[in-house]
Amino acid sequence: MTPYFYKEPVLTLDNISMSFGGELVLRDISAQVLDVVRPNMKQGQVVGFYGRSGIGKSVLCRIMAGLVAPSKGTVQVGVEQEPVKPGAVGFVQQRYPLFNHRTLVDNLLVAAERKYNPEEARQQVESYLERFCLTPHRKKYPAHLSGGQRQRAAIAQQLLCSDHLILLDEPFSGLDIAMIDEVKKIIVEVTTMDELNTVIIVSHDIVTTTALADRLWLLGYERDAAGNLLPGATINQQHQYNLAEMGLAWHPNVEAEPEFAQFVEEIKEEIRQS
Amino acid sequence: MKELFSPNANPRRVIFLSMVAAQAFVLLLLWLFYPLQLFPNLGEVFRSLGSLIADQGLIQELWASMTTALQSIAIATVLALLISYLTALPFFRPIAYAATKMRYLTLTGLTFFMALMVSSGHEVKLSVLIFGATVYLVTGMTSVILTTTQEEMDHARTLGMSEWRAFYEVVVLGKLDEMLEVVRQNFAIIWTMITLVETLYQSEGGIGLLLYKQNRYLHLDGVVAIQLVILATGALQDYVFVLLRRVFFPYSWLGAAK
Repeated sequence: MTPYFYKEPVLTLDNISMSFGGELVLRDISAQVLDVVRPNMKQGQVVGFYGRSGIGKSVLCRIMAGLVAPSKGTVQVGVEQEPVKPGAVGFVQQRYPLFNHRTLVDNLLVAAERKYNPEEARQQVESYLERFCLTPHRKKYPAHLSGGQRQRAAIAQQLLCSDHLILLDEPFSGLDIAMIDEVKKIIVEVTTMDELNTVIIVSHDIVTTTALADRLWLLGYERDAAGNLLPGATINQQHQYNLAEMGLAWHPNVEAEPEFAQFVEEIKEEIRQS
Repeated sequence: MKELFSPNANPRRVIFLSMVAAQAFVLLLLWLFYPLQLFPNLGEVFRSLGSLIADQGLIQELWASMTTALQSIAIATVLALLISYLTALPFFRPIAYAATKMRYLTLTGLTFFMALMVSSGHEVKLSVLIFGATVYLVTGMTSVILTTTQEEMDHARTLGMSEWRAFYEVVVLGKLDEMLEVVRQNFAIIWTMITLVETLYQSEGGIGLLLYKQNRYLHLDGVVAIQLVILATGALQDYVFVLLRRVFFPYSWLGAAK
């Protein structure tokens, strides 16, 4: 097993609940992402939140990104554990929005100018264009980019202005096998760019999310003693998995391992039962 | 040929242009040979057009109306943009709402109050046109602003933009091309109102006044000639707006269905 240890928290969800018009969507969600350190490895980490379609994952994403305040509870980010504000967490939404009135290079520049002076911003943008294989498309408008290019551009844009935490809402949704492999590569690439980089995947794709993550939280519904479904999705104690501890993290082809397949089956069974 | 009648088909350019030419030719034949002579014949209209240009200064009158129209649409656009953008602040939303509802007001009577507020006939003319165009422009512009999605605003916010900066990036810059389209569509309102205002204040002339006089003396060939000139001016104006949009907002056509 790869040696590792945890340092300070980088994201803390403390007792988050969210209601809309009196309807409880999320209930008492608590989770903490800790900075993981692997000796002799300069690589960040990937963590995953799994939830079925329509369970409130996108609401949870907006709360984690500081775009909406929860009805109850707090979100704290960074080593200083400050309350989350918009812009503190890079957030790539499901449809990879970009500014359609700006070219690709301008889209990246407008993001980079938040953290860097104009000259540095230009250099950073060039380096990201190169790293994400987007240099040939720099003058194109978003409408001219393919889905994959658009996704890479959206990730690069968020990386250019956020502080190490990047949240991906359904990054594998509607993609074919080849595109999923491409996105997986990008996610790994993001983690190798800085050892403090943490990618948070919020998805309903259990296999791909589990294969990439070293921590996994399962959003689901609970039942009361009488067996009735409680309102609001939550993460209970049994649905928090430390994949590093289980020996299922950081393997290049973990999906081919029988232990991985068995774990995924167990999770699927959990989901069916909930 | 079959594709001209297939839904959502994209006929080749040459086929499409031939079809347009054929349709124009049929229209011309109808005008020339339709037994019920509703309109003056083509020769009369052309002769009248020549006489209007030579004897009654049609080109100068058109130019006078055109400058008034351009002046009005420019001021109305600035006013309408201001009112529409201010809807970002809840305090100003009732003003924009009220402005959109003023489309239903008829201008008759309003001109009297405007005459009391401004000093010259030219200013009354302008203020009527500006009022008429602004209420339509605000309606179109606020609709454009309302198409802004949560996703677009969230995207700007996640880049650390303040609320005003996000509004500027997403709504002001992001929708400027659509605002130009609103101006193009509503410029026509000015031309429909110009006859009314030019007849109210006749000292400055204008093509609207010329049309009014031709109509009054039942010179139908002159009426049709002037209407055709206004139609051609409008079409040219539309073309210029489309050209401006292509030059200044090249991204604007990229997502459109073909």
